Amino acid sequence: MPGTKPRTKSWYITAASMIVLAGLLAASVGTLPLSRRWYNVQELAEAVRHPPSLRPIVSYEHYEKNPRFPTAARIAHYAVSWFGHDDLGRSLFYRVLPGFLVSLAIGLAAAMIAVAIGVTWGAAAALAGGRVDFIMMRFVDVLYGLPYILMVILLKVGLTRPLAILLGGHSRGTDIIILLLAIGGVSWLTMARVIRGQVLSLRGQAFVEAARACGAGAFHIFRRHLLPNLVGPIAVYATLVIPQAMLQESFLSFLGIGIQQPTPSLGRLAADGVQAVNTFVGYWWLIVFPCAVLVLTLMSLNFIGDGLRDAYDPKSKTVVLV
Amino acid sequence: MPWLIGRSLIRADDFAETLKGVSAARAVMFRRLLLICAGLIVVSVSLFALTAKEPRADFTYVNPSGIHTLDPARMSWTQDFRVALNIWEGLTTWDPKTLTPIEGAALFPPDISPDQLVYTFTIRENARWSNGDSLTAGDFIRGWRRGMEPGTATDYTFLFTDHIVGAAEYVRWRNEAVTLLTATPIDQTGFHESVLTSHGAELDARFDEVGLRAVDIRTLEVRLKRPCPYFLDLAAFPTFLPCHESTELLRERHHGLPITAEGLVVYDPQWTKPNYHRNDYPGLVTNGPYMLSDWTFKRRARFRVNPFYRAAEQIACRTIDMLEYDNISASIMAYETGDVDFLTDMSAPYDHEIARLYRSGERPDFHSCVLSATYFLSFNCVSPMVGGRSNPFVDRRIRKAFTLAVDRERIVENVLKRGDGVAHSFVPPDAIPGYVPPSGLRRDVNEAQRLLAEAGYAHGVGLGPVELLYVPNDERICQALARMWEEVLGIHVELRSQESKTFAEEKANQRFMIARGNWYADYNDPTTFLDCLGTGNGNNDSRYSNPRYDELLAAASLATQPSARAELLRLAESIIVEDDCPILPVLHYAQTLAIKPYVKGLYANARLWFPFRYVTVGRRDQRGSVLER
Amino acid sequence: MTARIIRRIIAGFITVACVYALTFIMVVSIPGNPFQSGARNMPPEAEQALRARYHMDNNWVYFGEFLAGAARLDFGPTFTYNEWTCNQIIASALPVSVLIGFLAILVALMVGVPLGVVGAVRRGGWLDAGGLALVLLGISLPTFVTGTALLTIFALFLRIAPVGGWGALAHLPLPVLTLSLPFVAYIARLTRVGMLDVLGSDFIRTALAKGLRPRTVVWKHALKPALLPVLSYLGPATAQAMTGSFVVEKVFGVPGIGQHFVNAALNRDPGLILSTVLVFAALLVAFNLLIDLVYAWVDPRISGAV
Repeated sequence: MPGTKPRTKSWYITAASMIVLAGLLAASVGTLPLSRRWYNVQELAEAVRHPPSLRPIVSYEHYEKNPRFPTAARIAHYAVSWFGHDDLGRSLFYRVLPGFLVSLAIGLAAAMIAVAIGVTWGAAAALAGGRVDFIMMRFVDVLYGLPYILMVILLKVGLTRPLAILLGGHSRGTDIIILLLAIGGVSWLTMARVIRGQVLSLRGQAFVEAARACGAGAFHIFRRHLLPNLVGPIAVYATLVIPQAMLQESFLSFLGIGIQQPTPSLGRLAADGVQAVNTFVGYWWLIVFPCAVLVLTLMSLNFIGDGLRDAYDPKSKTVVLV
Repeated sequence: MPWLIGRSLIRADDFAETLKGVSAARAVMFRRLLLICAGLIVVSVSLFALTAKEPRADFTYVNPSGIHTLDPARMSWTQDFRVALNIWEGLTTWDPKTLTPIEGAALFPPDISPDQLVYTFTIRENARWSNGDSLTAGDFIRGWRRGMEPGTATDYTFLFTDHIVGAAEYVRWRNEAVTLLTATPIDQTGFHESVLTSHGAELDARFDEVGLRAVDIRTLEVRLKRPCPYFLDLAAFPTFLPCHESTELLRERHHGLPITAEGLVVYDPQWTKPNYHRNDYPGLVTNGPYMLSDWTFKRRARFRVNPFYRAAEQIACRTIDMLEYDNISASIMAYETGDVDFLTDMSAPYDHEIARLYRSGERPDFHSCVLSATYFLSFNCVSPMVGGRSNPFVDRRIRKAFTLAVDRERIVENVLKRGDGVAHSFVPPDAIPGYVPPSGLRRDVNEAQRLLAEAGYAHGVGLGPVELLYVPNDERICQALARMWEEVLGIHVELRSQESKTFAEEKANQRFMIARGNWYADYNDPTTFLDCLGTGNGNNDSRYSNPRYDELLAAASLATQPSARAELLRLAESIIVEDDCPILPVLHYAQTLAIKPYVKGLYANARLWFPFRYVTVGRRDQRGSVLER
Repeated sequence: MTARIIRRIIAGFITVACVYALTFIMVVSIPGNPFQSGARNMPPEAEQALRARYHMDNNWVYFGEFLAGAARLDFGPTFTYNEWTCNQIIASALPVSVLIGFLAILVALMVGVPLGVVGAVRRGGWLDAGGLALVLLGISLPTFVTGTALLTIFALFLRIAPVGGWGALAHLPLPVLTLSLPFVAYIARLTRVGMLDVLGSDFIRTALAKGLRPRTVVWKHALKPALLPVLSYLGPATAQAMTGSFVVEKVFGVPGIGQHFVNAALNRDPGLILSTVLVFAALLVAFNLLIDLVYAWVDPRISGAV
């Protein structure tokens, strides 16, 4: 009978996704000591836009900066040309891997910001009830009515100066924080609605009534009784917001206002690769490798999110929408 | 949609119960809804497909960013100049190969008084507008006046106020009145009205004091404040184009006065449209070889030959299409497939590949030339602190050290590989006949390090991080520069890339230590570059101020002998590029053009000036392949 | 029912008004000079004259004036393009985006719904996972990558599509396809979830026990309730699709309205930002209302329930 078989095959896929993600993480974190130093090593003579090759085409002197582990450095040096080189002669291999970490970190941070704001807003609205609830949710409606693209750009552009002043001058960190705030600032809306719905349904339940009868305050009820029950939807939603945030970062990089050079991120690398497409010479490695990693990451995250949702509540109708 | 969550909690079973009772009529309506949708698709798609197709124009070229404005008094982009100078014609024009001024709507050369202060232009008898009207001196005065009036004028008013007698006084008087009128509210006292009326009554009288006079209907006399050797070159510039009197129909009037309530001169911005007919306006009337016949937003502008142009029969291309492609790669692809005949801009991320194809001769249809333009970096010469950090560039030794540390050849040949020209001076060499810029500073690592040490920061120790502000397009150059400074001077350079409006804001407010900049020559004289660094000039980003430099420029403006003048300017420029170094010239842009082999009459030149009336196109078939020469 | 519609319309107006106010605040607080274009600095008198001309020196005045103009459907001038008013820009760009968006949603429905149904029916099988994976590709790659890939394959290598632009039927398929990909993913998933839920319910079991063919059960009886979540999603999705995607327009050179959102924000052009935002909000409210009505019509139990 359709619909009642055990889900063995999708479970395998979710497990496979976790393995893939873990593998990427391991590779990136493992090479981090190297890529941290080598992501911006420019070789302006021969390596500019060089296609991938198994043997490194850039001389060892450009990369060797660790006299303590010369052999290990030599081995690591072999990977330099595996993904080819970009237009400044930098190794794409040692840019894609830290780029993965940067993108993932941005996704995670933006998701956390979205969750933080969304949960607070939704729960507060549901617990307050009445007019406050009405106004808070109308505010969410209004924000929904703003085109996302415009919001992100305006936020990014508008927050640049105040935050720079606040954080004492410009730096790469400031730019990333602004980016996170802009992306997180437009992703919390659905979370707020979902959480409000859940809290509303939980609020009417017996155990909350009992807690209230015992004299517990709203904050206490929220922290001890409601929050544990909200972990499910939060987890589900968060794993589905991370891919969205990563795509949004790549869109902003395409526009030129996302992650700034020379920091690599998958979106930045993909945008650069796409802009290098031309009718004269093919630079396929500039697109294929960042996009392959991006696809693997995003699909894994989506499958994990689906798996989480299946595990949490197989009949859940809390469908997460954009 | 708050109801969504509520709905999702409704079980499907309950729903199905109701569904069972749903009448068949509902199902029928559902099906009808589907049919309507399908019908809508078919209708909309077919309406779209059946729009009439026009025949392809004789010549098609691409304008990547589109027309910003066609108002000659307001334009500042080269692409707009190109369009304007093809549909209008000034007193002089530029030769397509040598860029020297040649005859335009007036007889050439004009009558110049012995002291070079009075120019008398005689407009040709057969010079006509596209509606048949004769071209008069009054049309030129009207056009030039628009370049001075607040409300219409923008960037190039200085071309009038610097040269023509009385222009600066007139502009100042007008601007003061506008400031006063804007600050005064319109209320019962009638003070505003009285000021406005008295100002309006004086308008023409005051303008008569400007050195522009229509001696008769076809003779224009211009009186200059001091000799200007490049005035004929200026007379071809778009700000000096004539304006047809029909535009007066679209001028905003306030109580009968030809100015608005704030004292501004405002025309309905739609006057440049060919099909605009408010107030019986006949549509855009121009006097050049072509006229604008159609203009669709963000898609295309079509020109056709002006039948009343003096040499209309000799023009080979009767219609021209200007297409807009936001994406340069797409325009290059369109050129490759034959949809487009001429590309003026191929600055894509892979432009080094294009330059290589040009240099190797594999693509004879690519042409490249170095432009009369410079890409440079501005040092902030005045602010001691920028963003909480100390700005070392107030000290000219550090500026000079940074300049000496740069290997421009490496940037141009290894990083960019576009065929740009290396810039050691601000004014491009060979750009202006009769002027040889100073040789500038060559790379000297030892001297750079010595200067740095002398300033107190030997080996870069003690010098905090330095910021370089730029726009995303300059990524490669700035990365390479940062590496060079790090290698040679040991100084960490922080790269800060901002999108263009934020960048302009930061630059205008002096929130930078080093900022990128570029400058394209407006006219064929060194002062178009050198004036930028004069004290108080609006484009002096570095706020550099040197009285000696200003003195030299002032002396040059009074010099009558061309060689003496060139020497003074050269001396001034050598202060900039060899001593004080407020700017760091990096390169002179190269531009690669793509011209189909069956197109003749277009020549790569340093100002990207392409008069289309000389273009001939061999015949070709549907796909753009050449059928016959 | 009519009272509900009227209440919804009023709520819609209020939403749009709040959207306007919020955008206005954002627009006047961000730095950047809308009048400057290019590298040259505008002399202060010229800038002051322009500001006076457009009443931009006083924010309250501008707020009121723009709103008054918007009520007349006159959105005023834009500073980025001297010769075009916001009305002309929106009038030329909106139909293009509406057409592409509408077709994209249709394509997404035609592809996504069957995929979701198949995935639900063959749940756990490779068809389910495979179909989902394929569909997820649409939201695992940025649109500029998928768009450029399609352009390169079909326009450059195979030469069966034009390189970009607008005006002929051949310019439609690629942008529509690229724009539909993310929506296909969501619609497929939503259908699948909805279908799974419906298939587990009693009335389906009854129908199957009665001997109806599974195909009839799935497509005739189960599909309609399964489409409810999709229906709710269609509201914002259609509005989003119709107000264009900047990337699709940039890659394929389509003169739609998405680029104006982005360019207006980057150029700090208040008139254009405000007018495009108003158009977007109006479309969104209108589509939500429409979907609401359809939903209520489809399920009489819902009307009145919140």
